[in-house]
Amino acid sequence: MNLWLGLLIGIKEIWAHKFRSFLTMLGVILGVASLLSMFALTAGIAKGMREYMQQIGGIERVGIITQDVPQDQEGFSEISQGRTVADAEAIATCWPAVSYVTPVSELGTAALTRGNQTFRTSVAGGWPDYVPINKHEIAHGRNITFLDVEQARHVCVIGNLTTQKLWPEKKDFDPVGETISINGSPFVVVGQFTFYEREEDKRRRELGLNSAPSKSGRSRGKGWSPFERKNSTVLIPITTMFYDFKSTTMVGKEDGGPNYKLDQLSFQVANTDKIEETLERVHDAVSVTHRGIEDFGFDTRQEWADAIEQNIRNTRMSGGIIAGISLLVGGFGISNILLASISERIREIGVRRAVGAKGRDIFVQIIVESAVIGFIGGVLGLFASFGVMQILVSISPAENAPIVELSSVLVSFSFALIIGVVSGLYPAWKASHLDPIEALRYG
Amino acid sequence: MALIELKNVVKRYRVGEQEILALDGIDLEIAQGEYASIIGPSGSGKSTLMHLLGCLDTPTSGTMHIDGVDVSRAGSNKLSEMRNQKIGFVFQSFNLLGKFTVLQNVELPMIYAGVSAKERRERALDAIERVGLTNRVKNTPLQLSGGQMQRVAIARALVNRPRIVFADEPTGNLDSKTGATILELFREISEQGSTIVLVTHDSKIAAQTPRRIEIKDGKIVTESAEMEVTA
Repeated sequence: MNLWLGLLIGIKEIWAHKFRSFLTMLGVILGVASLLSMFALTAGIAKGMREYMQQIGGIERVGIITQDVPQDQEGFSEISQGRTVADAEAIATCWPAVSYVTPVSELGTAALTRGNQTFRTSVAGGWPDYVPINKHEIAHGRNITFLDVEQARHVCVIGNLTTQKLWPEKKDFDPVGETISINGSPFVVVGQFTFYEREEDKRRRELGLNSAPSKSGRSRGKGWSPFERKNSTVLIPITTMFYDFKSTTMVGKEDGGPNYKLDQLSFQVANTDKIEETLERVHDAVSVTHRGIEDFGFDTRQEWADAIEQNIRNTRMSGGIIAGISLLVGGFGISNILLASISERIREIGVRRAVGAKGRDIFVQIIVESAVIGFIGGVLGLFASFGVMQILVSISPAENAPIVELSSVLVSFSFALIIGVVSGLYPAWKASHLDPIEALRYG
Repeated sequence: MALIELKNVVKRYRVGEQEILALDGIDLEIAQGEYASIIGPSGSGKSTLMHLLGCLDTPTSGTMHIDGVDVSRAGSNKLSEMRNQKIGFVFQSFNLLGKFTVLQNVELPMIYAGVSAKERRERALDAIERVGLTNRVKNTPLQLSGGQMQRVAIARALVNRPRIVFADEPTGNLDSKTGATILELFREISEQGSTIVLVTHDSKIAAQTPRRIEIKDGKIVTESAEMEVTA
């Protein structure tokens, strides 16, 4: 008997018991759907995390963080001034191992006004290197310069969203040359950053699918979106920040004097393969400015990235196990139904044996039936997963939208097919070993 | 050499602790083109004999040749091949596959013989025509009467051009009138040169065959041949 005929008989058998076959397949359908959705979900999360990672500077960005001093330095830790601009200058000497460095002093919230428009956002004071370290790009005008920093000029580079908020009546406005006020001080806008968005949204926008930012482009989780935050950036020279906004610090009603401590200190490693060496050099440089006090540490994204990858692997693994179990249950369902159907068809098997079917013909017939159930279940499961995906898309943050990869489709589908064949093995073996005489007498 | 040749064939069964001697030293020859009946009461061993002759089973001892092939110790695959190539079966309860059409039922033995789809169809239609059911090829067995179902079974038994056709109580589930037409059909087929062996407990049916082999307690008790009657 050829395989093609076996296939026809298998399909006929499934068609003859449509409802029962569907119930049998349900386990496989749900298994494949959950397996594929899980793959898509973790792929989406992975992509979202990597994109996020890239948006906040990539793994080459390293932050210097303050940390508790070791016990043996506790008594005299005050000789270190903490993170200051001097650190940034020290790190800058590590060039070319360090490609960029910037000290950052921030205003958590500042009122930006233009005419009667006000927009509240955070303002960063930094060096020109702030732009490459944070993966910013200038769309119009220019970056701040060291001359701006030296002369503490009242200039700023603003994000696209900031422009939109301050000039809501104008679309695609180029604000370069305009004057805005930050907490009452006038600043000239010298540049504007590009509009940052997800690659997918960018493609859609460029194809003209959505002229307005798409629904999926908006962040659903408040404050999570790296894009929204990045698009509302305002950058001014760090010196201007110090002189205008940090020269007095009010503690209660008393002026605590100037606070030139940094809120952030970050640099970019030129070669991520040599990150350890670079960190050592930077450590030595900063130790000098901190007078040997170990009150600082490194915040490397490498650890983040590793943790993210580990998380993704774990999620994938546990999700895979759960989906695998449901597929396995589907497989038992197939075995069970096939065994039941064989009991019903003992006489048919007897007739087939009587007219010359060999044991292996019967074996192939049952395996083919089982594989066909797995196949159809797999196909329906793929369709079902698109339904599940729609639900996932609507409930998961846009940044983590599930991604269906061809490899996951193939893996899920092959798994269904394998389950189909494997679960048919025992019923097929049993059917092929029926004694023809007993089978003919049956029922 | 005869088409079927049995020498001192013994068949024993074991049912639990008990051993049953179903066939006790059978010697039998059936020639090409014969129309014979095996007759005996229930439990006489006639079904066991038919299972052996039909290559559904092998003897415990003794030798058995069918069309020159020694099948006494044949394995399962060899027996399947013999059933497929040299033997046709007609059962009391028709044993048609309910989900298949008449045509598909008749095609079944050829599927396992590896006959091409086109030839299968042609030969099946020929066989169906021989039993007079050309107008029912697309029906399923459930849409047919008992007599028609048995005709389909006969067509199926003949379609692979077997050397011998075994019919186990072929009229057992039919009324006497329909039964008579089926027996008439067998006679016609026999006259066309096929070897046919009927297995029955009914002496009236057996009386219609030229040769009768009576079996009792696993032994052939009488044999009668009336070759001149059909001549």
